[in-house]
Amino acid sequence: MSMQAALPVALIPGNSIIHRINPITKIVWVVGYIVLAFATQNIIILGVMAVFAFMLAPIAGITRPLLKGMLILVPIGSSLIALQIIAPAVEKPWTPAWELGGFVIYTDGLYYGLVLLGRIVASLIIALVMVMTTHPSDLFTSLAKLKMPYILNFMSSMTLQLIPVFQREFGIIMSAQKSRGMKGSGFAAVLPSFVPVFVGAIERVQQLAISLESRGFGSDGHKTSYRQVRARPLDWIIGVLGFVVLIGLSVISILKGLWNISALITFPGPFVAGLFFVCAAVFVGFLVLIAVFSFKK
Amino acid sequence: MPDPIIRFENVTFSYAGTDEPALHDISLEIMPGEYVAILGLNGAGKTTLGLCVNGVVPTMLAGDLEGSVTVGGLDVADYPVREMAKLVGMVFDNPEFQMSQMSAEEEVALGLENAGTPYEDMKRIIPETLKLVGLEGFESRSPLGLSGGQQQRLAIAAVLAMHPKVLIMDEPTSNLDPIGKQEVFDMAAKLNRENGMTVIVIEHEVEVMARYADRVIVLDHGRIIMNGTPQEIFGRAEELATLGLRVPEAAAIAAILSARGLWKGPVPITTEPAVEAITELLGAKNG
Amino acid sequence: MAEPSTVADPSTMDRGARAIEIRGARYVYPTGNVVALGGVDLNVDHGEIIGIIGQNGSGKTTLTKLFNGLLKPTEGTVVINGVNTAERSVQQMAAHVGYVFQNPNHQLFARTVDDELQFGPRNIGVPEDEIRARVDEAIEFFGLHDVKEEHPYRVSFPIRKLVGIASIYTMRPPILIFDEPSTGQDHNTTKIINDLMRRLRDEGTTVVCVSHDMPLLADVVERVVVMKATEIIADASPREVFADKALMARTNLQAPQSTEIALQTVVGLGGPVALTPQELADDLVGRLSGSAPASSTRKR
Repeated sequence: MSMQAALPVALIPGNSIIHRINPITKIVWVVGYIVLAFATQNIIILGVMAVFAFMLAPIAGITRPLLKGMLILVPIGSSLIALQIIAPAVEKPWTPAWELGGFVIYTDGLYYGLVLLGRIVASLIIALVMVMTTHPSDLFTSLAKLKMPYILNFMSSMTLQLIPVFQREFGIIMSAQKSRGMKGSGFAAVLPSFVPVFVGAIERVQQLAISLESRGFGSDGHKTSYRQVRARPLDWIIGVLGFVVLIGLSVISILKGLWNISALITFPGPFVAGLFFVCAAVFVGFLVLIAVFSFKK
Repeated sequence: MPDPIIRFENVTFSYAGTDEPALHDISLEIMPGEYVAILGLNGAGKTTLGLCVNGVVPTMLAGDLEGSVTVGGLDVADYPVREMAKLVGMVFDNPEFQMSQMSAEEEVALGLENAGTPYEDMKRIIPETLKLVGLEGFESRSPLGLSGGQQQRLAIAAVLAMHPKVLIMDEPTSNLDPIGKQEVFDMAAKLNRENGMTVIVIEHEVEVMARYADRVIVLDHGRIIMNGTPQEIFGRAEELATLGLRVPEAAAIAAILSARGLWKGPVPITTEPAVEAITELLGAKNG
Repeated sequence: MAEPSTVADPSTMDRGARAIEIRGARYVYPTGNVVALGGVDLNVDHGEIIGIIGQNGSGKTTLTKLFNGLLKPTEGTVVINGVNTAERSVQQMAAHVGYVFQNPNHQLFARTVDDELQFGPRNIGVPEDEIRARVDEAIEFFGLHDVKEEHPYRVSFPIRKLVGIASIYTMRPPILIFDEPSTGQDHNTTKIINDLMRRLRDEGTTVVCVSHDMPLLADVVERVVVMKATEIIADASPREVFADKALMARTNLQAPQSTEIALQTVVGLGGPVALTPQELADDLVGRLSGSAPASSTRKR
């Protein structure tokens, strides 16, 4: 039924240029992004990376699901910035921006907070773009080509498959318990349902094991692959280009002592204070929302 | 007469940690191209018997095996299950539990990939096999999004791709709706008649088996207690009843009439002969 | 309105005019706008035993999930035992409707079979001594003596299925829904289920049985509701439904073999639309041994 919709992050089928890029090329970009994100403290570079990655979304036609996937950044980002403003992760002395009673906020942490956030945002967007535009089978086939062990590969692809199945099973089991008048809510009420879920999982795995063994799984001989992932010249060009630019920038950045440009940027006190209250409000609002939602259930 | 494809010789098997044997002194020969139905109550040993043929018993599910099971001349105890897979394909009652891939074609490809089949051959075999089970056009569909009948046919395709000589189905339709049930049994009948596949079905529904099987084997407490044509077996309604088994309704009607001395001819096991015989009886009475 | 009681005591419960009253119920899945049930009307009187048949995806399961509030209709009303399900939680509906799931593995979790049978009645507030009495009685009826101290997952599948049914039966709901009670059963346990149906009929329980098992339905239900493509397309006695060849063909369903044989033989001679081998044989005995057809008065 609505099984496929269960995963928040999954392939969004399409035939855009982004979809058609070879998975290994995409892996090169994702890895390059992560390397550069952590090799630099230059927020301009991080900002450009995030914007560039985000611009791929409309090309691939995945803007809406991407924004959905980025929702997770709301609590992470707001708490991170708010925390850096009240307790900077840099050496003292700190410059107070605003003060009320004993409560002081500082401007010094904001730059570092933005760097941290920039790293997370840039890496997350590019990773989401890859996952949403690459068929998992192609991804795993490519990983196998990169000599990732077969069993590890199989397990990760299997897990991806089983998540929606177990979600569905869990739903049925909860329904069955409620139908028997199960009282209470929260963890204590959910606990009994884990017994059937667990038993079901074991039965499933046992049968699957026999079924897979009956199809030659686990033989140590030469294996072939039905899914053929081709690498066109364009894939090579994009891959090499990504590698050169991203790794090149990483090297330059490291040579420049992580290219920290905080000295060039000063944040006005009122701006920092305003930002703090916005972030704090968003984070608290998020917590309240979660509390209300889980209480309702 | 050709050699039997499956031969059980005095097979007794107990699962590890149990005292009661699951199979008790089974001797059995099955010929190439036969369609065999196995009947019995739950716990009579039907599934264990099936698992012996592809070697899951005793190589994966451990226990104490006496006697020998040979398939195509190979002793199953000497070969790993993945070797036997080239001779014996097996499907179980829950098709969903047998699915592990993202798309139907990859599900069929899995066994071939494991056997190291070259890509060019797979490109030919996979569409062929999907066509054989009536799933052409479903290549890139997710197995978990298929109907029960389609899933079970895909599970069958996944073992057929390895070109086994024997297909064993353990209650293949118990989780399917009537359409799915018909799809699976029609397909198995076609494989049997047109491709000469040896088919073994473990099944409760006697009406279905009466229609398709060449031979019926009845198990009780791990022993074979009946072994014959459906005609012979389903003519013994009373004996089967004492075992907790029933016969097709057509045969049950004849049995009731026969007890009153009103039925003389052969026992019908499917609808058409029953209709013919009853029409004849009524005609003789009136005319 | 007073606080709804959660104890299923038919004497104090405000029983509606009917056990099940459904008006124009539609159900559309919240994701993807898939219509699972398109405008269904259904009345079931107290004490009726009905079967629901149709292929998977015809809307059977969605319909039965409306009965105990697991799903609330997108449009229309569902009134069960005088209670509008829209106003109650599933837990509150549990006192009115028992739902036996197809797979007992979805339902069982207690340490022993005995505990399992106590769980439901305790949830709906049945007194302890009454629980004990009901559990003992159910163990007797379902033949669970030898396994009552066993873990529910250590007993064979057919027995486990009986445990699942018994665990709902001990709640004594005035309305009982079975989803495929006979799958995975052998003939011994099927017999116990048939006996249970007869017993429920004698006790005046309303029973809804969703099943592909036509012989089971032919044997126990008084009324068959046929579903196709999210709608009810027929609602009549099993005899009428199974005799309707066009209907059976249109829904890809197969009448019991006895019915098919009867339709091609004795029905044309004024005989009954037999539902079981015994019925057809009785009629034939009458015809062949010379006396007047025994069952001519019993038709319909």
